[in-house]
Amino acid sequence: MDENKKKEAYQIGVSVMILLVVLTIGEFFLGAVASSWWAPLLGVAAIKAYFVIKEYMHLPRLFAGEEEMH
Amino acid sequence: MSSETVTTSQYRWRANSNRLGLWLFLLSDSFVFGGLLVSRFYLLGTAQRPEVSQVVGLVVTAMLLVSSFFMNRAETAIAFGDRKTFLRSTLITLALGTLFLIGVVGVEWQIAPFGPADGAAASLFYAMTGFHAFHVLTGVIFLAIIYRNGRKGLYNEERHWPVEAAAVYWHFIDVVWILFYPSLYLIGTPVL
Repeated sequence: MDENKKKEAYQIGVSVMILLVVLTIGEFFLGAVASSWWAPLLGVAAIKAYFVIKEYMHLPRLFAGEEEMH
Repeated sequence: MSSETVTTSQYRWRANSNRLGLWLFLLSDSFVFGGLLVSRFYLLGTAQRPEVSQVVGLVVTAMLLVSSFFMNRAETAIAFGDRKTFLRSTLITLALGTLFLIGVVGVEWQIAPFGPADGAAASLFYAMTGFHAFHVLTGVIFLAIIYRNGRKGLYNEERHWPVEAAAVYWHFIDVVWILFYPSLYLIGTPVL
């Protein structure tokens, strides 16, 4: 049970990392070919920031009771 | 009150209060970073950016993103009592944070074809990267303390609030850079 939770927590970390890598590479090439497209570039940055805040910084924990720590 | 007399329930209650305090601090800190970001777009618009190396920018960004992954791994590990993975991941995060600092201050600042007094774009570049680098340095010091205390066995699956605080702070630095990266390195054409 605990082992499954641990595996799941590690898996979320890996998934977010893959997402960040893919979006950063996309962002880099988008910036190289269309540096005037500021809205899509900031949009991609906002998506990356959202996932870091939600999954890595655990924002929902701020609103959870003490029984829901992990 | 010594740590032995604090029950797990009390510890969790305190951690919840501390968590709120940490987020309030980060919120107030984000206003300063937000001010710098707004200044960048107010002074340079969306058509201009400082003349910086996009390759160095991508490399340091990758370092910080990967460091966040290892920080998350360290926090998850200690939350499940895996001390060995916690220590190893914290050390990797610390190393990547140091490399990021070297990349920005030791490489990017040295190869930039302008100084801090060479116009609005230049000043903004040094202000944004400098203020952020100072936060990274603080985070690296914070991580070094966490690593040292972790080696002494001060954290376990029930009591590891300092590790969570270090992790949240580190990810905050990452979020700031995620927004700074396109603003400084990708949006607009070089002006200096």
